[in-house]
Amino acid sequence: MRIMVLAFASFREILGKERVLFLKESATVSDLLEELAAARPAFKEAAFDDTGTLRDYVLLMVNRKRIDPTQDLSRPLQEGDELAIFPPLAGG
Amino acid sequence: MLSDAEKKRYSRQIRLFGEDGQERLLRTSVFIAGAGGLGSVISLYMAAAGFGKIRIVDCDTVELSNLNRQILHGNADVGRAKAKSAYESLTGINPEIEVEALVETISEENIDQLLQGCDIIMDAMDNFPVRYLLNRAALQRKIPLFHGAISGYQGQATTIIPGKTACLACIFPRAPPASVFPALGSTCGVIGSIQVTEAVKYVTGAGKLLENRLLFWDGLNGCLDEMACERNSACRECSDGEY
Repeated sequence: MRIMVLAFASFREILGKERVLFLKESATVSDLLEELAAARPAFKEAAFDDTGTLRDYVLLMVNRKRIDPTQDLSRPLQEGDELAIFPPLAGG
Repeated sequence: MLSDAEKKRYSRQIRLFGEDGQERLLRTSVFIAGAGGLGSVISLYMAAAGFGKIRIVDCDTVELSNLNRQILHGNADVGRAKAKSAYESLTGINPEIEVEALVETISEENIDQLLQGCDIIMDAMDNFPVRYLLNRAALQRKIPLFHGAISGYQGQATTIIPGKTACLACIFPRAPPASVFPALGSTCGVIGSIQVTEAVKYVTGAGKLLENRLLFWDGLNGCLDEMACERNSACRECSDGEY
């Protein structure tokens, strides 16, 4: 199935603005993130800690609606879903 | 009533929102948290626009490495308190408004006192722990918080109206780790200007605010995007029914 990934802030510099991924049916948010990490080691380093856990401040949205990374990573994706991913900017 | 000098000084923006709008700006008391990259742009434009009272707070002294972006401060200010040079720059731009510039570290202990009498809060901080303090104070006082943050070519901004929009902790539940971020003056210019525009719109009642919308500026690609936000019913800061 076709999933669109939108990256913002520093993740955009690694992943590009938009990226289309083709995943197996019933793939989850977690599968998608693993796919991105495998394709882009810099993304893996930026988004995951040393134990392979998604950094807790990373924000995820599916179809423009916030999901909770502590609960929703196993959520199955649907054909045509859009995942947005970004870290908060903190500088001033 | 505006004086003749005020009518002349603000004539180009009175065309936008009338003398009534200008009087509203002059009656507004602003708290600006930080006199760094964002704080420079925010305070200079707010002073020039005639926000009547500006209280700007920063605990640091000016360093050479600040000068690529912190346009409140000049070369001769290196080593001086940022609040001191901020005061001089702001009163230099507009001597007709009231400026208070304080050398203080914003903390849980002093934030109530610092915000005394202020109608709106401008977020010009460089870290999330103090941003969360500003957010909580905005919720408690039911006054708006105009959020902005930058890193390198990237920036983000949103407008938080207590009781109406997502709060900062709804949008960003957890803080990223503290780090020395890359910073470009022009990115501060874009984001700080958006924050001031939001404040002007809020006070004069013009336009559509960045309510429940997180705006992203991507300077590298030259594009703006936005993401819808919503209140988090489990938010640790605003979900107890009080706000």
